[in-house]
Amino acid sequence: MKYGKVYFEDVPVGAEITPLVKAPIRQIQLTRYAGASGDFNPIHQDDEFARAAGMGGVFAHGMLSMGFVAQSLTDWAGAGTVRKLGVRFAGLVRLKDVITCRGRVLSKSSKDDVHLVELEVWAENQKGEKVVTGKATVALPSRG
Amino acid sequence: MPIQINRDIVGKEYPPFAVTVERGRIKDFARAIGDANPFYLDDTVGRASEWGDVIAPPTFAVSFRDESADSGAMLRDLGVDVSRLLHGEQEFELHGQLRPGETYLCRTRIVDIYEKAGRSGPMAFVVREMAVTDRDNHVVVTMRQVTVVRL
Repeated sequence: MKYGKVYFEDVPVGAEITPLVKAPIRQIQLTRYAGASGDFNPIHQDDEFARAAGMGGVFAHGMLSMGFVAQSLTDWAGAGTVRKLGVRFAGLVRLKDVITCRGRVLSKSSKDDVHLVELEVWAENQKGEKVVTGKATVALPSRG
Repeated sequence: MPIQINRDIVGKEYPPFAVTVERGRIKDFARAIGDANPFYLDDTVGRASEWGDVIAPPTFAVSFRDESADSGAMLRDLGVDVSRLLHGEQEFELHGQLRPGETYLCRTRIVDIYEKAGRSGPMAFVVREMAVTDRDNHVVVTMRQVTVVRL
C-alpha cells in the first residue's frame, strides 16, 4: 500500500525507507513548480539565460528535489508525520534526470508519548550521484 | 573581478506579512512535485482525517511570500543579480500542519552572511530564517534557508 502506516516499533535502526523513483525531469515540471512555489528565477526556465549565467543550461529548483525527498518520507510514514527536514543541495539536477529518494533510520526516541525516528535522507540521480543530502525527523504512531 | 556583497543587512528583519493558505495552492504545489497524496489533494479524505481537512506538504511554506512587497527586495539589499544565486541548504521544522483557509503571519530575517572559497570561485552564503505563526501566535513552521551567491 502506497500511503501505508508505519509503527514506531516496526522500524529498527538501520532500516531503509521505500525508495521513491520520480519521473524524468521535464521543463514543464520546472515551469509548474515555479508557478506553485513563486520562484520564477529564469535560470530554471530559460536555457539561454542559464548558459549566460555560466550554469551550462537550465537546472531544477533545489526545492523541487527537496519536495521529492519530503514525498519519499510521507509515502513511507504518512502525511503529516514529518517534524523536521534539513538538506544540503549537493549537485545540480538537469532535464531528463531520474531522481531516486532514499532514507535510512539513524536513531529512535520516545518522550511523553511522542515517538520520533531520525533518518539520514538523500536523493540521487541516475548515475548514483547524490544531489540532495540531509536529515529528517518523523513522528510515528506506537502500537503501545 | 568578484562582486561585493552588502553585509550590512545581517540582522535585518523584513516587515511581517500575512498569508492566507488557499486550498488550490496546496494542490498545485503537491501536483507540481508529482505528489498525489490524497491527504493533500482529496477534500473527502481530508475531512475524514485527524485534521478535518487537507493539509499542506512539508515544504509548502517555501511558497509564502509578501505579496504586497517587491519580490526583488532582498536581492537589491544584497546588491546582487538573480543569475548569481544558488540554493545551498534548506531546513523546515514543523510544529503543526498548514491548513487551507487559515491565515498565518510570516517573519523573515537575515541571520548571517559569510564568505568561503568554493570549487568555482569565491562565494557568499546568506542565511535567512522565517517563522510562521498561526492566529494564536503559535509557531507552526520555522524555515532556514542558505542562499549561495557566486561572487
